[in-house]
Amino acid sequence: MRTGLLLILLSLLAVAAPAQQDDQRLQELERQLAELRAALEAASAPAVELAELERRLAVLAEEVERLRLGEAAAPAPTGAQGRWGLAPAASKVYGAAPGVSLGGYGELVYEDPSSRRQDGTRSGRAAQLDFLRAVVYLGYKFDEHFVLNTEIEYEHGTTGGNVGEVSVEFAYLDYLWRPEVNLRAGMVLLPVGLVNELHEPTVFHGTLRPAVERTLIPSTWRENGVGVFGEVGPLAYRAYVVNGMDASKFSAAGWRAGRQKGARARAEDLAWVGRLDYLGVPGLVAGGSLYTGGAGQEQPALVAAGADPRTTLVEVHIDWRWRALALRGLAARANLSDAAALNNALKLTGTASVGSRMVGHYLEAAWDLLPGRTALEPFLRWEELNTQDRVPAGFAANPANHTRILTLGASFRPIPQIVVKVDWQDVHTRARTGIDVVNLGIGYVF
Amino acid sequence: MLVGVAAAVAAAAAQAGVLLSLEEALHLAFPGAEIRRQPLFLTEEQRVQVRRLGGSPLASNLLVRYEAFRDGQLVGVAYTDTHRVRTLAATLLVALDPAGSVVRVEVLSFAEPLEYLPRPEWYRQLDGRRLDQELALKRSVRPVAGATLTATATVEAVRRVLALHAVLGTSFP
Repeated sequence: MRTGLLLILLSLLAVAAPAQQDDQRLQELERQLAELRAALEAASAPAVELAELERRLAVLAEEVERLRLGEAAAPAPTGAQGRWGLAPAASKVYGAAPGVSLGGYGELVYEDPSSRRQDGTRSGRAAQLDFLRAVVYLGYKFDEHFVLNTEIEYEHGTTGGNVGEVSVEFAYLDYLWRPEVNLRAGMVLLPVGLVNELHEPTVFHGTLRPAVERTLIPSTWRENGVGVFGEVGPLAYRAYVVNGMDASKFSAAGWRAGRQKGARARAEDLAWVGRLDYLGVPGLVAGGSLYTGGAGQEQPALVAAGADPRTTLVEVHIDWRWRALALRGLAARANLSDAAALNNALKLTGTASVGSRMVGHYLEAAWDLLPGRTALEPFLRWEELNTQDRVPAGFAANPANHTRILTLGASFRPIPQIVVKVDWQDVHTRARTGIDVVNLGIGYVF
Repeated sequence: MLVGVAAAVAAAAAQAGVLLSLEEALHLAFPGAEIRRQPLFLTEEQRVQVRRLGGSPLASNLLVRYEAFRDGQLVGVAYTDTHRVRTLAATLLVALDPAGSVVRVEVLSFAEPLEYLPRPEWYRQLDGRRLDQELALKRSVRPVAGATLTATATVEAVRRVLALHAVLGTSFP
């Protein structure tokens, strides 16, 4: 009887082996093994027979473990060394499974601006509830070297009524060669700042991204290009050549409208962007990036005005986690050459001038009151930015573009993949035009 | 790569697959030791105890303990733990000394994109840890910017294994 049971179990294993992903079958097998063991313990039989059954039980248990481990259960290839320990080899993926992967995130945002500006005049702003982003990540692993990675974003719920938009946020092919050197080509996220690449709502505090990283660093900033990335010791780097920005869209508010977002991007002028981070201490990311390139794109109006603007943005950042404390800081400066000629080409006068220099920085501190799987993190962020820190001679800066924002709020994550956010932003400008705002948000990532 | 920096970029990037075989991981944890495999069949009561102590449930009542011997002396034990990180699975080998402290945590397989995999230094934070309140993210274990889900799942797995070891001891259950 018992031998018969074992034969049935062996048959089950034979069926289960090709279908390692079949969790239900594995669970059933485990259940039956447990029942068999209980039966064995309760049975009275000759010691020799019991010993043999115990041996077979052990074999079956190891088979279950082997199925659970999958390819990791296989003996190490001759000469192979692991990613960790003996000789780090991050790209040593000798059991990689090709195929499609799917992920995504989304965020719902409620903004309730004050009815009054900083100077007491009516703000004219109304509250709004916006499904800001619904994003689908889609990737495909061709083999252990070639990988496709894409992000498709739906903004503001619909494209009807010219309200929202659908955009490819990134779509690039990676060639994974070795930890130190890998290649990337396609539409890439520029490796600038703390948020541009890490922009899922569960990752940053505040319902809205920091203003410095929306204005000075125009996240989500993506362009078409090629580059390399890798890790050398505790240092990680990325360096890309991408199409330059379109300076004809610049304004006193900054460069944000000058992103080309991969759409028939003008490519007469290219740009180079590089980033270096130190990651050698757990919980710490410290580094900086540099973006520099032309933005005139040989457009007739700019050429006629003698404008060949060059954009340069440099930033340094730090992200430090210690126990329940999370600190972030970032400082950025952007310079634009030929600003006066660009103003002339764009017919910008007076305080409408583009800034020949923009500056911005912020500091943020958060403390998790419920460290563990659930998180409740009150936070405080102070930031200052000025998109007209300098303007060309003959033009003036608009003090409304010099902004200071104090944000107080909290992020609650019942589980790590879902966040509920609330914050209040005290917004001041030099022109006393700031409008305070209360924000609420819900975000998810999967 | 670029854990903590580019993690969120790549929710759909390369699945890493197998990083280390079981054999390699056991060798790293207990170099030169003789490894004996010991099947374990937990009772429901033991499973409840593990959940209570560790804070999360075991996936199965059937486990294999890898016992490391040198010169006939038990020098440590190891367990594997397979869990979901984001949408895909990871398998760890958690090696302990006989007294119940973590000797080493190795990633055997990681089906999520490599960008979500913390650097080796992060895993070394877990060495020497015991099952106590300090063994938690944002307590004695620092989080990883952009790889929070992996860090959370890893700490939960280590707590689960330590709880299992505390419940079972080193004797045959």
